[in-house]
Amino acid sequence: MSKVECELNINGLSKKINIHNDKPLIYVIRDDFGLTGTKLGCGLEQCGSCAVIIDGEKKLSCNLLAIECEKKEIITVEGLQIESELNHVQEAFRKFNAAQCGYCTSGIIISVTALFDKNQNPSSQEVQNALDGHLCRCGSHSVVLRAIDSLIEN
Amino acid sequence: MNQFNSGPSVNTYNKLSHWFDFSNPGILKVYSGKIDIGQHISSTLALITSKITEIKYDQIEIIKLSTDISPNEGITASSLSVANSGSAIKAASIALKIIFLNYALEKLKIKNEDILFENGVIKDKNSNKTISYWDFSKTDEFREVIIPEIFDENSLKKINYENNQKIELKTINEIITGKYKYVHDINFPKMLHSRIVRPPSYHCKLIKVNEDFKKRLVENEIELFVKGSFVAILSLDEFLVIKFLEIAKNNIFWEEIQQLSNNNVFSSLEKHEKESLLVKSGGEAFYEEIPEKKSFDDPKIESLSTIFKKSYLMHGPIGPSASCAIYNDKEFTVFSHSQSIFALKHSISKYFDIDSNLVTLKFMPGSGCYGHNGADDVAFEASVIAKGYPERYILLKWTREDEHSWEPYGSASLNKVFGAINDDGEIVYWSNEAYSDTYLSRPSDIELNNFISFKFLTNNFVKTKSKPKTSAHMGIHRNLDPIYNFKENRLVKNLVHDLPLRTSALRTLGAFANITASESFLNDLASIKNIDPFDIRINHLDDERALAVLKSLKKEMDFFKPKEDSFRGIAFSRYKNSAAYCAVGVELNVTDDLEIKLNHAWISVDAGEIAYEDGIKAQVEGGFIQAASWTLYEEVIFDSKEIISKDWHSYKIIGFDNIPVFTTSIIDQKGCAYLGVGEVVAGPTGAAISNALCNALGQRIKTLPFTKDNITKELLN
Repeated sequence: MSKVECELNINGLSKKINIHNDKPLIYVIRDDFGLTGTKLGCGLEQCGSCAVIIDGEKKLSCNLLAIECEKKEIITVEGLQIESELNHVQEAFRKFNAAQCGYCTSGIIISVTALFDKNQNPSSQEVQNALDGHLCRCGSHSVVLRAIDSLIEN
Repeated sequence: MNQFNSGPSVNTYNKLSHWFDFSNPGILKVYSGKIDIGQHISSTLALITSKITEIKYDQIEIIKLSTDISPNEGITASSLSVANSGSAIKAASIALKIIFLNYALEKLKIKNEDILFENGVIKDKNSNKTISYWDFSKTDEFREVIIPEIFDENSLKKINYENNQKIELKTINEIITGKYKYVHDINFPKMLHSRIVRPPSYHCKLIKVNEDFKKRLVENEIELFVKGSFVAILSLDEFLVIKFLEIAKNNIFWEEIQQLSNNNVFSSLEKHEKESLLVKSGGEAFYEEIPEKKSFDDPKIESLSTIFKKSYLMHGPIGPSASCAIYNDKEFTVFSHSQSIFALKHSISKYFDIDSNLVTLKFMPGSGCYGHNGADDVAFEASVIAKGYPERYILLKWTREDEHSWEPYGSASLNKVFGAINDDGEIVYWSNEAYSDTYLSRPSDIELNNFISFKFLTNNFVKTKSKPKTSAHMGIHRNLDPIYNFKENRLVKNLVHDLPLRTSALRTLGAFANITASESFLNDLASIKNIDPFDIRINHLDDERALAVLKSLKKEMDFFKPKEDSFRGIAFSRYKNSAAYCAVGVELNVTDDLEIKLNHAWISVDAGEIAYEDGIKAQVEGGFIQAASWTLYEEVIFDSKEIISKDWHSYKIIGFDNIPVFTTSIIDQKGCAYLGVGEVVAGPTGAAISNALCNALGQRIKTLPFTKDNITKELLN
């Protein structure tokens, strides 16, 4: 099974790697870049755990071919901090302790960050749209929504 | 506060060193036998320790459970994490604080009023001399302390603590920055990634592996592990394993020994062979003759009967189960997110017929779900594979399809309920017969067959019959015994055999079905006599704490005006009739398309002394959301060939689009025992939604989940 050379930019770091041409982005993020904050939940684009930001848009990385992401800016949860400071979404989640087991949390933070990067004052419907497709089994939804509400109020 | 009971863990672990490690200056490491599955137990235990010892919360670290260093506090289940480990650590903290204060006063030759106590250090105001917990931990006095099983009032008077609650979760910073490590993230040099090649269903024997496929595996440096009918593939490259897993499905051949029964499971629950036990007041089950159900001819008494149905439910963690294992120098080390870490250690040693000291289980976080999911199976399977590749770490992950199709589900069940109420509104007779498969098939050293892969490894597909558990509120009969003062109860537990799907412990065991049925039926009985739902409950309770929770709920609900076209329902329960008290209110709308939208949820809970307020809130709101998901959406679909619910489209769970506004009230009972809160809300949630839906439709819907299909069928009947 042949491999192809591919150059990806994740969290500002460019790296050339040899990968299978059908390798989804999530495995490159986790295995080749060692960034394990992006989680595999289903591999079917059904749960939202693997969300990343690509060129400013939230994308699910579990079925997205890595080779299609060349020359794009990929941001994972590890890349959200600005000069070691939490971004405002992470800060809200920290303040509200908005997680239980935390497995789904990084994907949710990614989606909410992508939303607020475009719109500082989203409507509740826009928040719902951003969270559509994010599953959580522990039931952290209520505290997550309170954390997001605090961003809108502020 | 009259006395404090240290709980069962202190009976075995009664030395301070069992719980505390002061070996690092300025840091207190705390041991616990419970694992953090998202219920915030680490933060809660650190807060309890901090409040009593006056060591800062930030100075306290909770050590992840490891069988070589941690106390064995049994399974992390049954809402006992804070009740057991919290009580033990509170007891250890009280014992430590009392003896340390005495030691410091004597050593510094000062009086109580001369001390400054900060961050675990006592300072003499006059001389500036200090002595710390860390100094004290090196003394014989520290080593000799025996933690009392009970603290009397005089001892407790020496401990005065603020019940402060505002803390940052121990895990939150790492979670939100992607640095929190789950077992899935383990990475050792030369580690082999593995996946299991599953047959179509439970009862399949391996026939052969295609020879060309074997060659392709060799060409790609992929290992094939076969033992009996257990098949796995391994590679240094995780993605390669995933690619070949798909190819393997068409190149490995199985003989199906027995199909799944796809008869209507509710019909099977009634007709199949069963063991019936009588459940008595107190919640214990007995092998005794079941009395006939009474009938009533008195015109002043009206009776009613109903059958409630619940489908199979899955745990469904968002991250599939995973484990990492190594076999090195005749010893196993296994990283697992199992809730039964110690039982797993003994099960693995039993399977390999080695001394249990040669197996070390180390907890690593997994994805939350609460109950016996695939975590034990995958750790056992990783160990089996690791034995075949000595000195290599094996990271085995289940796929999404594995988790959905192979986990032990929460059983489908039936509740046949019958009751009679007189003209005074008094319930004079109550009968509840629960029918279900087992909720208790966690693996143990005497039940290796409970590992799903054990039968494939041994090629023994004979199904063993579960035995009914008889202890109070255990399994099927959890919360079957009503907490109310009904005049006469008839309670029957039926363990039904030879049902199609694998089942085990799902959050609340039988309590969710039993409470949903009984709290719905209670409303139906009350409505015969036009009695208000709050009143029917209050009139049959004399426990002051139960009454306080119900009154708190009523007050909170009355504060909010109902939304247009909305309907409300309430329910109440005390989990196991011995843990936390919880009353739930729900307001919902039903759309023209029979979709149920949750507007508002009220939760009033009494969990004894508040150990950690936000932790309790997270547990009851999270528990509500999970139970609402069971109630509205969830059922495992299967046919004679296989499980159909293989992914999140074929097994729908609740999303962010149906989360109500929460009003959660926690009653603090300072000085009282901690009461488990992890499961208390589920039953009342199912029933409160059921009762609100009944008000909306004017008819009781008796089959969960409340999907459009199920509602339509019952409305048309």
